[in-house]
Amino acid sequence: MNPKKTKFIVGSMLIVGAVAYLISAGISTTSQYFFTVDELMAQTVSYEGAGLKIKGNVVNGSINRDPDDYLKVRFAIEEKESNLQVVYKGITPDMFQDGGEVVVEGTLDKEGVFHANVLMTSCPSKYEAEKEAGKTHPGSLPLDNKKGLESEGSGSKPKTSV
Amino acid sequence: MNEIGEFALMIALATSLYGCVSYVMAARGNRIDLYLSAEKIPFILWACVAISSAALWKALLTDDFSLQYVWAYSSRDLDTFYKISSFWGGQKGSLLFWTLLLTTYSLVVHIQNRKRNAMVVPYAMVVLMSITTFFLLLLNFSTNPFEIIPVAPEDGRGLNPLLQNYWMVIHPPTLYLGYVGFTVPFAFAMAALITRNLDDSWIRLTRKWTLISWFFLCMGNLFGAQWAYLELGWGGYWAWDPVENAAFMPLLVATAYLHSVMIQERKDMMKVWNMSLVLLTFVMTIFGTFITRSGLIQSVHTFDEATLGFYFLGFLGVIIVICTALILTRLPLLRSNNELDSFLSRESSFLFNNLVLLGIGFATFWGTIFPIISEAVRGVKITVGPPFYNQVNVPIGMVLLALIGIGPIIAWRRASWSNLKKNFVKPLTVGLATAAILYPFLPLTNRSEMYSYLTFVLCAFVMTTILIEFFKGTRARMDLHHESVTESLGSLVWRSKSRYGGYIVHIGVVLIFAGIAGSQSYSENVEKRFKIGDSVELKGFTLTYERLGFIEENASKTRAIAQIGVYKNGERVWTGQPEKEFYKGQNQPVSEVDVRSTWREDVYLILADFAEDESATIKVYVNPMVRWIWFGGWVIAFGTMVSVWPDRLELRRRLERMKVQEAVFSPAQE
Repeated sequence: MNPKKTKFIVGSMLIVGAVAYLISAGISTTSQYFFTVDELMAQTVSYEGAGLKIKGNVVNGSINRDPDDYLKVRFAIEEKESNLQVVYKGITPDMFQDGGEVVVEGTLDKEGVFHANVLMTSCPSKYEAEKEAGKTHPGSLPLDNKKGLESEGSGSKPKTSV
Repeated sequence: MNEIGEFALMIALATSLYGCVSYVMAARGNRIDLYLSAEKIPFILWACVAISSAALWKALLTDDFSLQYVWAYSSRDLDTFYKISSFWGGQKGSLLFWTLLLTTYSLVVHIQNRKRNAMVVPYAMVVLMSITTFFLLLLNFSTNPFEIIPVAPEDGRGLNPLLQNYWMVIHPPTLYLGYVGFTVPFAFAMAALITRNLDDSWIRLTRKWTLISWFFLCMGNLFGAQWAYLELGWGGYWAWDPVENAAFMPLLVATAYLHSVMIQERKDMMKVWNMSLVLLTFVMTIFGTFITRSGLIQSVHTFDEATLGFYFLGFLGVIIVICTALILTRLPLLRSNNELDSFLSRESSFLFNNLVLLGIGFATFWGTIFPIISEAVRGVKITVGPPFYNQVNVPIGMVLLALIGIGPIIAWRRASWSNLKKNFVKPLTVGLATAAILYPFLPLTNRSEMYSYLTFVLCAFVMTTILIEFFKGTRARMDLHHESVTESLGSLVWRSKSRYGGYIVHIGVVLIFAGIAGSQSYSENVEKRFKIGDSVELKGFTLTYERLGFIEENASKTRAIAQIGVYKNGERVWTGQPEKEFYKGQNQPVSEVDVRSTWREDVYLILADFAEDESATIKVYVNPMVRWIWFGGWVIAFGTMVSVWPDRLELRRRLERMKVQEAVFSPAQE
């Protein structure tokens, strides 16, 4: 092999190596384990402090807003066999309601309470159109930042004044 | 009319099957009768699909809820505008739309190549027909848009309010135009492989197709970002969602291809590489469709309707096997006759630009499919989110940005020291000056801010290289032809459109980089529960919540509007009115954000929710330089238009080439 070719191969390998390094470093520092509530409870290893993404359904009547800080909310999510206490601060998405399916991202503390920094909702019937359209998945955006929040006394139509 | 539409789909399937067979026969043998019958097929096929589409559109416009599709995506009170767009609002319609575009493109290819390229075109048509057949099979047997509800309901379910936005109306068709467009270069590449006709004629034949498809893909991504920004109201424009990645990956591969073909055209090198890239671009479009329709990749809004995704997976498998086999068997013919001369040359900068683009593509791909891989390998589902993509793609993207500057000014073959000195001193000086000027103003407390600082410096460097190119060319013409500045600049661009069009595209890309750097690192937000009269401060703005009002727009829509006074230095600069809209029958309200956009920054307001006592939760973002991204998009659009504008010189050259080709490849001589 001539030296010129070697030089190109070395240069290319450098780029490929750098990309590979960035990817593996990125995965090890930013990845999150994805479990459903039951799967999480069935784990033998403790995931305390690790980045987690948990899917479950909101337990009926468990949504509890802090009277002093409107943006702070406690609730529980459940699956068939187990449930999980969640604390979240921020604007809650529209479809965040009793029984609704949610995905939370965050960490578990010692007491087994989940501190979520991202709260996402699934809303099959309403978002089906977009899911099928394929190109638009608003729900997969981090909903903690997302628009669309419930009105007080959710469900009731707003009064019409002006 | 619905029966006609359904029937037309069946005829279309039969036609495309017949087309596959007759084109193969026509191409292989001397069956002039089959060749003549194949001539009519693209027209018949297009007409059938067009009739079918017209039938679906008519059903949407006439509120024919006996069709399941119309019921699911439309309703009586929907705007006509959105009734038209709900054609591609759902799965079935979007597949029909895809087929409509594909058959239209096939027809254009057919008309363009009448009586020329007779050696290659029949095979390209076979490939196009086969792909059309796949879609028609799906439409006829799996996702028929003309499925009937036995007892027609009174009204439809309506289109999701989030999709009722003008960006959402143009975003999917734009993206589809790009997606489907890459089928044509793919078909020609396959045809070249099959016929072993592996010089660069297939590249030249599809150059404009590639550019235009690239353009639509690029615009489709930008329109999608704009829709997400204005309609989803989360303050951002890109979330690295699998669905966004699906549209982003083909764009990256296609960009790599657009650059590396220049080396093949010039130096007759990298044939295998180019062939692989064009095949990979197409594979990525199908892979993207597979991701979005399979539910295999965890995205909150994918559901278990997996069958269609697996058809695409099977199709993908077949394509990959055929492509690999074809390339491997043709490998000796694809061997190039030249090699790269020097490390410091334009050729090698193209090579590195390709590697970097593919690096971003691969990182994106890996992050997207990582949950599947980790579950298969380790038994645990591990996901990665935006932090992963930002951490990986931002540094690679900055290398890419630097290469945009270096590539066009480094000499072909072998850059000499004097060439380097001549071309690089000024841009580097400007870059360093920018670094010095910005240093005192920009915070450098974390990695993101350092990246943004470096990106601004690189943007200044790259912009200078491009402007110098324009300046030098203009100056030379002024001296030579004694023209005015504008005349010289105009004729400079006019006389080599593809080159200067490319530079204009680069300017747009630099603007987008700058916009992303500005908005990603220096964006700030605050969310607060306001009572009437409460204020909040953010980045020099004072925002006061003034009042809450309601408007009953029509029977089905009520709007709640918050009024927010925005002050800067004690002066009122804007009155923001973020809204929340309540649609009858939808228990989910839709927020309409309000944005004050300037070159410096966007003030972005979201009305999160409100209570009886008129207190409201409002989230405020100040996002710097977002406008640069959208403006960069229009610059790219303009540059691409310049590049693909018919060029008389190019036309003459091509005519001469065609004469040669025709002499060699006319069917009569076979």
